[in-house]
Amino acid sequence: MSNGAWALPEELKMLRDTARRFMQNDVKPAEDRAPHDACELPVADLAPLQKKARDLGLWCYRTPTEYGGAGLDLLGQAVIAEEASKCRMGAYIPACGAFGADPPNAIWLGNRDQIERFGIPAVERGQKVFVAISEPSGGADPARGIRTRAEHRGGRYVLNGSKMWISGAGSADWGLLFARTGAQGERGGITCFIIDGNPKGLTKRRIGVIRAWSPYELHLEDVEVPVENRLGEEGQGFQLCEKWLVEGRVPYAAACVGIAQAALELAMDWARQREAFGSKLADKQAIQWMIADSEMELRAARLLVWQAAWTAALGGDLKTDASVAKVVATETAGRVVDRCVQIFGGLGVAQEMPLERWYREMRIKRIGEGPSEVHRMVLARTLLGGKGRR
Amino acid sequence: MKLLVPVKRVVDYNVKVRVKADGTGVETANVKMSMNPFDEIAVEEAVRLKEKGVATEIVAVSCGPTACQEQIRTALAMGADRGILVEHDGVLEPLAVAKLLKALVAKENPELVILGKQAIDDDMNATGQMLAALLGWAQGTFASKVEKDGDKLKVTREVDGGLETVSLKLPAIVTTDLRLNEPRYASLPNIMKARKKPIENVKPADLGVDVTPRLTVLKVEEPAKRQAGKKVGSVQELVDKLRNEAKVI
Repeated sequence: MSNGAWALPEELKMLRDTARRFMQNDVKPAEDRAPHDACELPVADLAPLQKKARDLGLWCYRTPTEYGGAGLDLLGQAVIAEEASKCRMGAYIPACGAFGADPPNAIWLGNRDQIERFGIPAVERGQKVFVAISEPSGGADPARGIRTRAEHRGGRYVLNGSKMWISGAGSADWGLLFARTGAQGERGGITCFIIDGNPKGLTKRRIGVIRAWSPYELHLEDVEVPVENRLGEEGQGFQLCEKWLVEGRVPYAAACVGIAQAALELAMDWARQREAFGSKLADKQAIQWMIADSEMELRAARLLVWQAAWTAALGGDLKTDASVAKVVATETAGRVVDRCVQIFGGLGVAQEMPLERWYREMRIKRIGEGPSEVHRMVLARTLLGGKGRR
Repeated sequence: MKLLVPVKRVVDYNVKVRVKADGTGVETANVKMSMNPFDEIAVEEAVRLKEKGVATEIVAVSCGPTACQEQIRTALAMGADRGILVEHDGVLEPLAVAKLLKALVAKENPELVILGKQAIDDDMNATGQMLAALLGWAQGTFASKVEKDGDKLKVTREVDGGLETVSLKLPAIVTTDLRLNEPRYASLPNIMKARKKPIENVKPADLGVDVTPRLTVLKVEEPAKRQAGKKVGSVQELVDKLRNEAKVI
């Protein structure tokens, strides 16, 4: 029996140090030259960072090594995602894109030909890829919500419908799109298709939102997809996207913890320096409590994120644990960044500090990747159904 | 050529150091510890010498508590081949460390010992020089450039007012300055490789070294708070203040 002592594996602590130093010494100076709401770095800045990240073995760290990624497990992903988010654009563009962008892991469930045509080039060339699930009819309940239809005609499928809130679609090289091949409302009636480039009949419209990085609305009018670009079998769509959605919640939650931690550190630095009414902000109980509450909540959120990763490693019910981590981390990050804005006062909402941007972008985190309410519903159903007890 | 690279575990350079309430030292409980940055430069230089084919083996050494293994592991992940931990829980003064290193030199027979010019915790700047004296070896301290020159080592030193180049007979001691190189970060593949590299554990007694402290620390205190600056209206006023207030001229 173990003595109950635990710590992050030593190698992971070393890799975290590497990521932390890379963010601080390499990524941050490059980002400091970019405008407040920038969503990418100029190629001249990004290319050397990406080269260095590849040499460090941090390139596409969520992708298995056999496909050219670093192949970190979920705990490793959580630890690195927390560091990679610690930059101004980090809520949606981790490490300013220096670590590449992992293609959705559903592609690795495709056949060899699909992996070679789409998955591996995406890793090698740092391509951008979108995933289109949500529709105007809703995003939280895709089994019922998806209305986009795919008709099998000859050697191809013909797709018609609309998708909403699709991140990264504007400049994507390819994407995964989920459409209905079965009856309306049937969970098993959804199929996944690879949309290669910009096929005829696909139009994209940018939707301005509270965050700097705009999502897109996609319209599909008789878009033809060859049969060989159907991922998995007809009706397997849900199964394919579930792995991506559930596992993705762990680094998603970790990134929110990272932003909030970075915000808290800024706020503490400020509190130590700033004077009002004859003493430092750090000496005032109102501020001390905000800092203490933030630290306590962040520690709890981080441990829940790590716990979800451990559950996955032990083969447990990741779905429930990932939901718990996602809700707690995103809600905590929202509160912490809000308090940090308060500590900074006017500067907190000035576009001269990353806090202003983080405050806006943290708000979406409670909606994206399943709103808090849906995760609470899933958790409650699991508990009330007699499952999920420890 | 075999290299010995001593690395010290110190409070991380990003941490604001705080003096213990009882004035006996600095707070190290719950504080992030790292490899002394000057020693990182030493490891980097050793690895570069190996990459150039000058060095054949790099042995990283740390003297201190068990946790120093972390710093040895970092050196291994940067490219050192194996490690030695000289395990000791108490205070280790520069002379004690220099004696331990001398004993390890006798055991390992390196041709070059390369280490940081000083550690950022106590800033003693002594171990390298003491080791050179104990061994009777040539020393090139505050190195900003190290080159193999036939059977000698050419070391450029940062001295007051410029650069001095010395030619060292091997075996020798080199201590590193800030501008020697920019240390690499440990990469994931090298971190994984480092797991398999051996770390040998020895005790000061195994090396026959008495590490009993010879110095007594009377008191550690925070530096005096810096006074706010003043703006002066004229050169005359400046000279007056320097002479009568600061009393420096």
